[in-house]
Formats: sequence, C-alpha cells, structure tokens
Amino acid sequence: MTLAIDEDRLSETFAALANSTRRAILARLAEGAATVNELAAPFEVTLPAISKHIKVLERAGLVLRGQRAQYRPCALDAAPLAEVSTWAEQYRPVWEARFDRMDDYLTQLRPQRKTGAGDD
Amino acid sequence: MTDNNASQDAVVIERSFDAPVGLIWQMWTDPEHFKKWYGPDGATISVANMDVRVGGTRLIGMEVHTPNGLMQMWFAGEYREVVENERLVYTESMSDENGNASSPSDIGMPDGHPGTTEVRVELEDLGGRTKMVMTHAGVPRDSPGAAGWTMALDKLAAYVGARSTR
Repeated sequence: MTLAIDEDRLSETFAALANSTRRAILARLAEGAATVNELAAPFEVTLPAISKHIKVLERAGLVLRGQRAQYRPCALDAAPLAEVSTWAEQYRPVWEARFDRMDDYLTQLRPQRKTGAGDD
Repeated sequence: MTDNNASQDAVVIERSFDAPVGLIWQMWTDPEHFKKWYGPDGATISVANMDVRVGGTRLIGMEVHTPNGLMQMWFAGEYREVVENERLVYTESMSDENGNASSPSDIGMPDGHPGTTEVRVELEDLGGRTKMVMTHAGVPRDSPGAAGWTMALDKLAAYVGARSTR
C-alpha cells in the first residue's frame, strides 16, 4: 500500500498549484516543452524566480526536466493532475484535519480511561 | 467511462489510533464524542442526531463563523450498514434543518458535484489499537463528469490528457 506516499505527493501537488505564476507555467507547458528562458518570457519576474517556481513544480512531479545540461527543457507531466481534479480530493484535507483532531481528543481522553476503571 | 469516474472519485484515508476499537466506534456513533472532532476548524457541531441502525437517519448541524456572522449548515443522511466496532456506512447530502436534501445547484456547488455522498468507515481491532479506513465516495448522479477542483485545472487536465500519447 503506497497510501502515505500518495498523500504526501498530493499535498505537494496542491501547494504547487496554489500559485498563479505556476499555473500559468503549466498552461504554457500544456502546449509543449519549453526552456526556462521561454517560460520566463511572458512574466515580469526574474529568471531565478521562475527557476524557483519550476523547481516547486518539479518536486510535485508536474514538470520533468530534460537531461541536456545546456537547455534542460521542461515538459509537463499531467499524472498528478488527474488525482486532484476529482471533487473527492477537495475533501481529503478536511478529513485529514478531522482525524488529527480525533487523535488529539483521544489523547485527552486517555488519563480518564486509565484511571477511571468504570465504563464512562 | 462512468465506472472509471465512480471508482476514482473517492477519498480513501487509512489511520491507526492508539485507542480500542470500541472507543473509535463511539467517535462516529456517539453524538457527544462526534461533536468533539468532526467540525472543520472554525466550525462547531451544534446538532448531531444519529439514529444508528440500518435505515436510521442522521442530521448534522454545523455552525461556521464567517466575517458576515454565523452561518448554519445542515447535512442529512441515512445509515446503510451498521456492524458495531467493524463497519459503518452512511449517506450524506446538504439539507435544510428538517433533513430535506438540497440540490447541489441550490447551494452553489459546481455542476457535477454529487448531491449525495457516501461515507464508509471500516475498523480493525489491533488489540488496544485500531486501524481505520475511511472512504468518502460520490454516489454517481446524472452528470458523467466529475467536477473539477477549479475550472482552469479541469481545462488544463483535459487539454493535456487529449494531447498526451504516453
């Protein structure tokens, strides 16, 4: 079961998508592979800033980099998008937060459970 | 195509808790316990009516604090499977305070959002600890396409999916 890994990757996917510049980069890559310079052209931000955005997208598995040292063109990998684009994934963070609270609440109950031998 | 959507359109979360299975069961079925953890951050569960038996109804009232004041939301549903300490299945729809389900468009949900969803909780006794698998699935309705996270994302994914030859 690779559930935990999948969840981590989904969090990264969400974080990567929570930025309009990065979404614009993805939209550009949807039309085909591009170099960092080409990706930076439409934006009024510095090249290092664009590189940073691309690194975030790379970590989220949304962008693949070519191996040629000079250009290292970027290409889109849409697989993680398929997972977040369902309605159900909107609810994942809600449930995760609920179960975190359940865990906290169970911890609060623990001293009572240990000392109180009764069934209340 | 619709089968594919139905199977994919679910959240599955597996957790282990350092608590006996009977207590985890109560977290879901005892209103006082349920109220303590269920509400999303910033929300309070004001009502939790639970008739925990097959065919029994449930009604959850949620108070959400917004900048415009308190907003009350209601969720109604029915228990489908009740096997104590093992398995709980119930449906859920947004509703009014009397438990009458609202249609998704009435409450401003995007097209394709299922009107009714199903929550399945499966518990496994690990001897003092408990493994829980929660599945929250959309009950497929007339709309074949699952609603997107955002329109832009949908369009992008569709566009990319159409182009992808891998």
